[in-house]
Amino acid sequence: MGALAAAIAIGLAALGAGLGNGMIVSKTVEGIARQPELKGSLQTTMFIGVALVEAIPIIAAVIAFMVVFQ
Amino acid sequence: MMYEYRSIVTRQRKWMLYLLAILVLGAAFTPYSRIFQGLLLGSIVSFYNLWLLQHKTKALGEAVAENRSVRGGLGTFSRLAAVALTVLIALRFEENFHFIAVVIGIVSSYIIMGLDILLRMTMGRSNQSGN
Repeated sequence: MGALAAAIAIGLAALGAGLGNGMIVSKTVEGIARQPELKGSLQTTMFIGVALVEAIPIIAAVIAFMVVFQ
Repeated sequence: MMYEYRSIVTRQRKWMLYLLAILVLGAAFTPYSRIFQGLLLGSIVSFYNLWLLQHKTKALGEAVAENRSVRGGLGTFSRLAAVALTVLIALRFEENFHFIAVVIGIVSSYIIMGLDILLRMTMGRSNQSGN
């Protein structure tokens, strides 16, 4: 049961992060390609967005490892 | 505009290095060495994750702006693998690293990032009201 719980936790977190990251990166790439002079601010927004999105799967990975190995 | 991203990156790295220095002092000179060692382990991996994200974001932005093809992604799996390795180390050497401290250390870069954004927003607001 523990392995199933870990798999669901990390799988759903990775799914959400993948969708979120994909949206962020696609819009940023679109923006930079359209206006390369705004690269700095778009990179900043992307950086903060990706970091906040990735916090969840990282915590999920920690919880999954705790469930499996403890 | 490029300056903005570079200044944020430099500032966040600076705060992380300050945090690491404080944790090294805590691990060396306080009786709570297990907790500080855990925090230190987590913070080192957190710093690596932060550096990787900054590096990959910069590389992606430059590649798109110069119309080059983008090689590799944003390093999500590398970051997850680094965290997984850290958790395994913390679980294996539980007598040296406090597990909850390691987890707090892993999220320390996100805490610093949040505080940095908050500080920047409040400073920007006070500058606007000052003008």
